[in-house]
Amino acid sequence: MARVYDKPQTTGEALTHVAATPVRVLFRLLDYPMSAIQRLLGIGGMPWLFLLPNLVFFGMFVVIPLFLNFAYSLTGGTALFLSDRPFVEGEQYGFLFDCENYADPLSCREDRFWKGIFNTAIFIFFQVSFMVLFSLITALVLNREIRGRGFWRAVFFFPVLLSPVVVALIWKWILLRDGILNAFLVSIGLERILFFVSPDWAMFWAVFVSIWAHMGFYMLILLAGLQAIQPDLYEAAEMDGTSKERVFFRITLPLLWPNMLVVIVLALIKGVQVFDEVYVLTGGGPGTATQFIVQYIYNTAFTNQVQNFGLASAASMVLGGVLFVLTLTQLAATRRRDNA
Amino acid sequence: MTEIHLKNVHKAYGELEVIHGINLQVQTGEFCVFVGPSGCGKSTLLRIIAGLEGITSGTVEIDGSVVNDVSAAERGLAMVFQSYALYPHMSVYKNMAFGLENSKMPRAQIDERVRNAAELLQITDYLDRKPKALSGGQRQRVAIGRAIVRDPKAFLFDEPLSNLDAELRVVMRKELSALHAKIGGTMIYVTHDQVEAMTLADKIVVLQKGIVEQVGAPLELYNRPCNAFVAGFIGSPRMNMFEGHAVRDAAGLAISIEGLRLDLSDLPSIKDGDKLTIGIRPEHIAVHADGLGELTTTVKVTEQLGGETYLYCDAPGLPQITVHQPGQLPIVKGQALSLSFSRAQMHVFDATGKTVANGLTV
Repeated sequence: MARVYDKPQTTGEALTHVAATPVRVLFRLLDYPMSAIQRLLGIGGMPWLFLLPNLVFFGMFVVIPLFLNFAYSLTGGTALFLSDRPFVEGEQYGFLFDCENYADPLSCREDRFWKGIFNTAIFIFFQVSFMVLFSLITALVLNREIRGRGFWRAVFFFPVLLSPVVVALIWKWILLRDGILNAFLVSIGLERILFFVSPDWAMFWAVFVSIWAHMGFYMLILLAGLQAIQPDLYEAAEMDGTSKERVFFRITLPLLWPNMLVVIVLALIKGVQVFDEVYVLTGGGPGTATQFIVQYIYNTAFTNQVQNFGLASAASMVLGGVLFVLTLTQLAATRRRDNA
Repeated sequence: MTEIHLKNVHKAYGELEVIHGINLQVQTGEFCVFVGPSGCGKSTLLRIIAGLEGITSGTVEIDGSVVNDVSAAERGLAMVFQSYALYPHMSVYKNMAFGLENSKMPRAQIDERVRNAAELLQITDYLDRKPKALSGGQRQRVAIGRAIVRDPKAFLFDEPLSNLDAELRVVMRKELSALHAKIGGTMIYVTHDQVEAMTLADKIVVLQKGIVEQVGAPLELYNRPCNAFVAGFIGSPRMNMFEGHAVRDAAGLAISIEGLRLDLSDLPSIKDGDKLTIGIRPEHIAVHADGLGELTTTVKVTEQLGGETYLYCDAPGLPQITVHQPGQLPIVKGQALSLSFSRAQMHVFDATGKTVANGLTV
């Protein structure tokens, strides 16, 4: 292949030559300042130069807010600016954790925080369990030679592409008092169900909609894991007369386990962070039946009559700590998968 | 002891037929090697015997019983896969015991079998290791061990040495041969490597495009190939092939290839004008240092291997001629070389490639 600065021999090469001219000019222009910078910084300093733009953004939008958040969590009052807020040490944390009995949210001074934690725990328990189960079943089915496999894979993945607000609005439209589901129930002679009035139904639909919206992503990870298992292993098992159940529990599941672990931890992290879908779907109601920890933080900081930034920041730090532990677990799980 | 019999076996994937009516009998205790180029159907045939592939028509018999509809597990055969197919999450011991556990064999018996097989294959020290902690050769042994513990009716090997380096392949080839001598089971072995086929087999089945070209003992195939394909496929380097036409001259029927006259008068089936191919193996060509051979060529490439020498020579109007000579020859590239061809070792093929004669008498 001709280099761009060789004399072009054919029409194709001439076109390539013309097309490459701006790039060549750009490289020449960049060459002088970059050489000067390299002389200044040395070769060892150059990687930092290339990392700088990302570090600036990461610092501005992650590190500085994190420290600001921590600083706010040590202050009280209702003033917006940090400089106007009185320093209260760990008072906000003390307030959050002031409980007679941690198993009973109502015994806590900030019962809404603990209610949020309990709701989130219940949500995570059901959402993660059923999410992993359904993702696994779907991946197993879509890994088989079934008709229209590509189509079904797309169908199950499609909700992942939707915005959480769109997902919630679609389901709200289905589940409202006059929604399609109730219209259907009435049409077959059943009673209307007020899904968003019953705490159990509201929690059920919060879990269901969340699974519907995110299952495709986890299914894809498991499907990739299933496809990475050598078909020869199944044939060897077949030659050995291994039953289907034993193949699943002794071969498929152990080999898929690293992927399962990644899925479980990722689903846990997403579960802890749940907010937008449920906020649009139920608004946290009825009462506080579907109010999760992130919504508690949001309400405390922005929508309550008294905007308590200090308390919200302290709750954020607690949530951040939980997510940090889960993220470390996820990294360990990913490493284990890659080394498997 | 097990006999395997294929009768008019056809296999098609939709419209595409890949096995075209194969008849074959593998005798008890025989080491039978399926050999052929890529895509000839040898692995498919092995998988058909294993029960991993169904057949379109025909019958597969094991010890006289038709097993067309018998599952792979119930056929009682064991297979060693090209990729070894070891369960990566299980130890060597677990890998070998897994199949036996399926049959609910008592634990003590499983242990005895695994340890006996491990001893036979010299892998006792690795029983607690995972497959990824083993070398290619050790993995291969574990895969064979997994087959041995099941005490199968027959062993099926699907290109088991192709993932090993050349040196280890030679070692494993010898070990497989010794293993067959020791346990004496029926073994069917698939390879595309004709050296493996020649060294291991009691019987070689040469396949091409889903049909059996020839079945026979290694030297029978080497000395008496039934067609030009088998003649070219068996033997390394390949047999030299020269094309020409039979012509009747004053001295009788003969073929003349660029001045090289070969008398065909003792082959009554050949007629004047027939298109023929003459084949001669590299080791059956003699080199004449005195220049008094039948054909003068120019040496294009020499390969001095120490114990033997390969010469690749060009002659006008002929394809490149490969010559094999024992020992070391002081011949250099570009040198003129006079060659002669042993009539007794020549093979004659007709226009369809079918063998007319293996060896000329004149």
